[in-house]
This record gives sequence, C-alpha cells and structure tokens, in this order.
Amino acid sequence: MKKFKIAIDANQDLLKFKNLGEERRKAIERGSTTHVNASSFTNNLVEMIHPKGIKVEVVQIIEETEDTKSFYLKPVKLESMPPFLPGQYVTLTVTINGKTYKRPYSISNFLKSLEMYRITVKKEKNGMVSTYLFNECEVGETFNLLGPFGHFTYQPLRDGKDVVFLAGGSGITPFMAFLQNQAFLEKIHSLTLLYGAKSEFDLIFKKEIDEICSKNKKIQVIYVLSEQKRSDYAYGFIDEEKILQIGFENKTFFVSGPLKMYFSLNEIFKKLDIPNKFIRHEIFREVPEDLVEQNFQLTIKMKDKTLTIPCNEKETLIQSMEKGRVKTLVHCTVGECGFCRSKLLAGTVKTEDSCVRASDKEAHYIHPCVSYPLSDVIIEIPL
Amino acid sequence: MNNKEYDVIVIGAGNAGLVAALTLQKKGKKVLLLEKGRVVGGLSSSFIRGRFEFDTSLHPICEFGSKENSGVIYDLFSRLEIVDKLSVEALPEAFAVYSLDHKKKYVMPVGKDAFILKMEEYVPDSTKSMEEFFSLCEEIESALSYIRENKGHFDMEVLLKKYPYFMAIASYSVKKVLKKINMPLKAQEILCSYWSYLGSPVSKLSFVQYASTIYSCITRGPVIFKKGSHAISLLLSEEFIKNGGTLRCLTGVKEILVKDNEVTGVVTDSNEKFLTKHILANLSPNVVYGNLILDNVVPNKAKSLTNSRSFGARGVSVYIGLNKTKEELGLENMTYFIYHSLNSDKEFKRMHGVFSGNLTAILKNSSIDSSCLVLSSLIFGGAFDKLVTKENYFAMKEKFAESLVSSFEEATGVNIRDAIEEIEVATPVTFARYTGHPEGVIYGYMATSYDNLIPRILNEENEIFIKGLHFCGSFASWLSSSSATYINGEQEALKTLEEMENEKV
Repeated sequence: MKKFKIAIDANQDLLKFKNLGEERRKAIERGSTTHVNASSFTNNLVEMIHPKGIKVEVVQIIEETEDTKSFYLKPVKLESMPPFLPGQYVTLTVTINGKTYKRPYSISNFLKSLEMYRITVKKEKNGMVSTYLFNECEVGETFNLLGPFGHFTYQPLRDGKDVVFLAGGSGITPFMAFLQNQAFLEKIHSLTLLYGAKSEFDLIFKKEIDEICSKNKKIQVIYVLSEQKRSDYAYGFIDEEKILQIGFENKTFFVSGPLKMYFSLNEIFKKLDIPNKFIRHEIFREVPEDLVEQNFQLTIKMKDKTLTIPCNEKETLIQSMEKGRVKTLVHCTVGECGFCRSKLLAGTVKTEDSCVRASDKEAHYIHPCVSYPLSDVIIEIPL
Repeated sequence: MNNKEYDVIVIGAGNAGLVAALTLQKKGKKVLLLEKGRVVGGLSSSFIRGRFEFDTSLHPICEFGSKENSGVIYDLFSRLEIVDKLSVEALPEAFAVYSLDHKKKYVMPVGKDAFILKMEEYVPDSTKSMEEFFSLCEEIESALSYIRENKGHFDMEVLLKKYPYFMAIASYSVKKVLKKINMPLKAQEILCSYWSYLGSPVSKLSFVQYASTIYSCITRGPVIFKKGSHAISLLLSEEFIKNGGTLRCLTGVKEILVKDNEVTGVVTDSNEKFLTKHILANLSPNVVYGNLILDNVVPNKAKSLTNSRSFGARGVSVYIGLNKTKEELGLENMTYFIYHSLNSDKEFKRMHGVFSGNLTAILKNSSIDSSCLVLSSLIFGGAFDKLVTKENYFAMKEKFAESLVSSFEEATGVNIRDAIEEIEVATPVTFARYTGHPEGVIYGYMATSYDNLIPRILNEENEIFIKGLHFCGSFASWLSSSSATYINGEQEALKTLEEMENEKV
C-alpha cells in the first residue's frame, strides 16, 4: 500500500487517460490533407553546401611554371560553387580512354563570390591524370567534382593567432586560398610563409604571393631554394635553423608538401617540444618506399557479384579498380572520408589506418584508397 | 520466394532499424536491411579527427545498468545475445547541473538513497516528496514493462487494477505531478535537469516518460559504451549478417510500392525492385508519405496526422579533442547540464534562439594524455533558418563553437580552449545531411499533449494507415532517445512478426 494519494483530480484522471487516444484522433481529423512536406530550408542548404557532385567547366587554363598549370572551374548548372574553408580540396573525376580516375586537388584560390574554383596541377612523371590534364585538357572541357573535403583548415578556437605556413613545391596550392581569404587574414595577428622549391623557376604563384604581401603587413614570406643560390633568397631546406629564426612559441604551423619534408619537420617539432595541437598537416599521399612492383589478384565482392582483377603492390586497391574499369565509390581518395570503406576478407595489405574507426579496425575494415596489396586480396564492399 | 523477395524490408539502419532487423532475422525471417548512408548506425556513429574518434551523439544510456540490476536495454541486448560483447563504463554521477545565472552547481549521485540524501542537503524538507516520486517511478517502470510485454495491446482493466497510480498520472506533465506531490520547487528543478535530453520542458514533458528515464538513471547509474556508438551499430549489423540477413549500404529507397492500401515492395535509387508485404521504416513519416509513396495512394488520415505534428528539437554539437585528461583539466564529472536557470520552461523559450548558451556536455578520457568533450545545444523552432545562409555557414559554425565553449568555461571555471587539439562542429545541416530528416531534426516529433508517449502508444494500431507499413525510430511511438529507439525497434519487429503469424491463420 502506498502512503499517499496521487490523484490530481480523482474523478477526472481515469477519464482523462481514456481520452488521450480520443484527443489524438480528433487532432488527426483537424490536420490538413495536403501533400506532406518532406524537406525544408535546412534540407535545401544541404544541397547547396554539400552537393553530391558538381559538374564544372574549365573556363581558363594558365601555365604557372614549366610543369604546373592552373585550371579555373566554373559550375555548369549551379549559380555558384559550394562554400569552403581555405585548405580544403576537391576530387576531380577524369575519364581517359574509357577509364575513370579520381584525384584530389587543393582549391588554390578563394573568391568571395564562389564564382569559380582554381586547382593547380603539377605534371608528375608517371601521373596518368596530371599528364592528361597538363597535355590534353582544353578550355571548355567538363568534369565532375566531389567535395569540398578536408580538415587542413584554420580554427580560431584551436589555432594560435600567429601562424606559420611551411610549403614545399606544389604544396603551396592550399595556402593560396588562405592568402586570398580576408576572413582568415582578419582573424590572425601574423603570418609567415616559408616556401621551399628547387629554383626560382619552380616557385608557383610567386608574383601573386608578392603582390598579396605588399598589401598586407601581417604577412611575411621567405622563399627557400634548394638547388639555386641567390642573395635575395634563403638557401637550402626548411630546417631547424629557419624555424628558430622565425620563432615557434605559441605559433601554429600548417605544413603542406612532400612526405620527406613532413618527416624532417616532425623531427624538428619533436626536438623543439612543440605540442601536436600547434601542428597541422595537409594530407599528402605517396607510394610507400618499401613497396615493389609485384602483381597480385584483387577479388571484389559487392551485392551478389564477385569479380577478380589484377592489382599491383605499388598501386592502391582503388587505382587497380580504376584500371580494371570497376566503378569505385571513392570520394576523398586520401583515406580520410571512409566512403570506400570495405571489409578485408582475405590477404594482407599495407594500409594507412589513422582515419579508420577503432571498432572497424578490429572487424578488418580498410580504406582501399590508401591500401596497397601485399598478397592476393579479397575485399567486400558493403553495398 | 525468389531472391528479390523478402519477408520484411527494413528501411534505414539506425538504432531502431538495426534492432528490428536483427530481431526478425533471429526469428527466422528473411530480412533485407537498406541503408542510404555509407555506414550503419544513423546518429549512433563516430568519426575521426586527428588522434580522436568522436561519437556523433555521445549519450549516457540510463536504461542499461548491470547484470545484477539490469535495465531494459541490458535485457534487450541479452535477448539479442550481444550483451557479453559490450563493455560499458559507469559514469561517476547521475548528473551534474550548473546554473549560469545563479552561479550554482549541483552534483547528483547514483543510488536512490544517496540521491534523496543529497537532495535533502541542497533542498531541506524535500525527502518526503522525493520518496513519493520514487514509489511512483517504481510503478511506472512496472506498468511500462507490462505495456511492452504486450506489445502495446494492453488491457485497460489490468492496468487499472495493477497500476492505479500509473493510470492516474499517465495523462499529466512532469510539472503537474511534481507539484501535486508537493515537491519543493528547487528540488523539482534539480530533479528535472535531464529535461533537455528528452527534448521538452517540464510543462510539456509527459511525467511517465521523464520518470522512467530518470529513475533508471538514478537507480542503475548511467553508462557509456566504452568503444562508442559505432561499435554497437557495427556489432548489431554484423550479428544481423551472421544470422543470414542481407544488408545493403548506399542503397536509398526512392519508392515504397503500395497496392490496394497494402505495401508490396520497394524501388531503390538504382532502380532495383524488391518485393515484400512488410516494411519497417526507420525514417520520418514526412519522408515516407511526402517522398516515397505516390501522393494519390497516401491515405488522407496519414497526411492529416503527419501534417498536424510539429518537429522536436534540432541541435548543434561541438566535438573537441583535448590534449589533457579530465583530471589534468580539473574536471571531475562526465555528464554536465549547463543552463542559465533551472527553470525549464524559461530555458525552453530561450532555446528558440540559436546561441542560448544552454548545453549538455559529456567528457571522457580518450588516452593517457587526452580526452574527448562533446558539447551539445538544442534549438527549437525556426531561428536557425533565419540566421544561417550558404555564404555565412562556416562563420556560423565558428560562432556556435565559441558560444558553447564559452558557456562551458563560464560554468565550470576551467579553461579548455588552450587544450583544444581538434575541433569539429555539427549543425542541423550536418544532421540533415547524414540522416535525411526534415529540418535536420534529432528528436523526432515534439512530444507534447496528444503527441506524447502514452497517446502515441494508445493509438498505434489505429495509425497503421497502410497495411504492412510500420514506423520505428525517433519519429515513432517510443519517442526519440537512443534507448527509446532501441526499444521501439524490437517492439515494432515483434508486431510485424505477430502480423505475419496472423496471416498464416
């Protein structure tokens, strides 16, 4: 027996309970029988901010250096491109001889109007896509873009107000968007750009950078040439001495360039005891040096289909699928978005798993866009 | 049955869809689970930034408990035979609540007696009403368990006989009942700190719903799953596949086929057709009736019910990876409720604006030298839409982060910004992107008056407007918390099973 009385209104409580259902039925009858709305303002914003794909047209091509070209991409159907943060990248879908390839490129400009994106492509020795873009792509050609993606961005709550950009070679491209973004420049107190290249002729965007610097006292730029000595440039590599010269206390470092540069800088950061929070890396993927040319078989299970194609130790599973004309789901191509997430059923791979969830790792999921086969491999794509 | 024909098709692999699919598959049915997104789990998922893995909607589970004192989620996961594969971390307190305006902090312990004692310390002369509150809770828990066991077809007479107090209070709000048992106002306010987890203020929130959650929270203690929400979602999907189920990701449904007011199948985005007589939709009725079924075959009643409902809360979450542990930061608690005042009706109004400064927080260590902090703030109504545009979206994200971090720092007096190593912000746009829910709603339909828990359950059978089409998940009967969606997934699966049994007869 309970010691207290709960009735709010003893005569009414039960009736009220029984009426709950009835009230609801009446409310339903009052409701409108017009078409049910499934989307709203917010859902429309999703389409504008995160479109599933953007068809773009090349409207201008500029030769920046002997082996680098910039491509200006304008949307074909949309009024303007999706908004993005400086440092983000897009994935370009390129079809060559009936095979479809996807490659990531940093957005190398920032127009407030979002009228067009610029991407800048360096011709790589064995780069199928970069060679095509460099040699054959013409104004008027259309492509499909995915993204923008990426977290190589400035976050005012996290990052310091004194910022250092360390760029190596074509790693300069994401920084061009930062330099053109007034909102970013207003947030910071100072910006030092150390830009390393082989010679003055390899410095992409030098004129553009000098012009921006001359107009903004916050920005200081130091060009570092590794294969050319000149009195008006620094010589060598971006090393400890140069970082000590500009100072590192409370500064946030943004690093973009080849892996070799990351490794040497990481040693320096460690030595100087700079916490992780002050170091941001642009994702840069290269074939791991210890891999050799060796052919294997890749078996892919998806839906109720199974197919087997050749693959090579020096190519990612996604690259083998591209060559084998298997439609890939890959989005970011650098292992961070997880869109190509697949289950490794058999075989071994060398893979980059820093962006794979802990429980996915335990269940043998991999991101095929950053996985190289070390044996015959069977994967399942949960489609 | 050919390979394009299934006993049941579950659309959407959120908490409810996963539980429903696994429940049915374990009962020997042939089930197809279709998921539009890349991974299963819906909002119970995770993502990685730097060295941190963030839970999308890190949430203490109040209804889990332990083997000795099991809650409904523990029991459910036992029935699904996955409970041994989960490891949980008990939270050190029931909750900690802060009032910014009054610069006050109340930390409430786990355990009924400890809770009452602590309340007496904060609010003298509250013990009697707290004891009454707990005995009401006990009856509510038994009555709800009776309702669940009977899958909603309960007998009013039994309810009346065995659970008279439940019957007496089931139609009232939290505010009405607590007032009736003469609980001092301040005790009411502290006790109701959890209101924002349930998505409505005490004057709208059904007492039954609130009491069942908070009672389990206090008596069993809230837990979080050690490996995170994605681990459970993955486990449920892998068990489903192991039991012979078919899961298809990246497979959206563009049409539900209906003939003579009965479902006959679905057509996917890539024009594959699957046949079935039973569909469990783990998505909003708005999307189902508005987009997936031809308008001329949607019954008027389905339209008028859907059109008469209003959406529950949307939210903003800020995910922060800190390069210090909670101990190093000097933060003792894991669950924080931070409000300007503890008057939920007043704060509910304030939260119709977007930078309310009210938030809930969960803090847990993620390694020997780091921790994850998730700050979430609810937004009611349309203020977000008036403020945010395509052009200012990223600037607004920064403002949300600044607003929530400032509020957390003000309440706790601890500087966290200097320890931020990673940060990410999710807005209603993010939630809309990943769930497809209208407006990016997290909390389903607003639980209020005729759309509260009990009226939803009472009318469930009358609201099967198209034969074979059931809803599960945050927009369905058992409301929107993560526990509620798990429970609801099983309930709807069992009802579908019953329907199939009846067809045989």
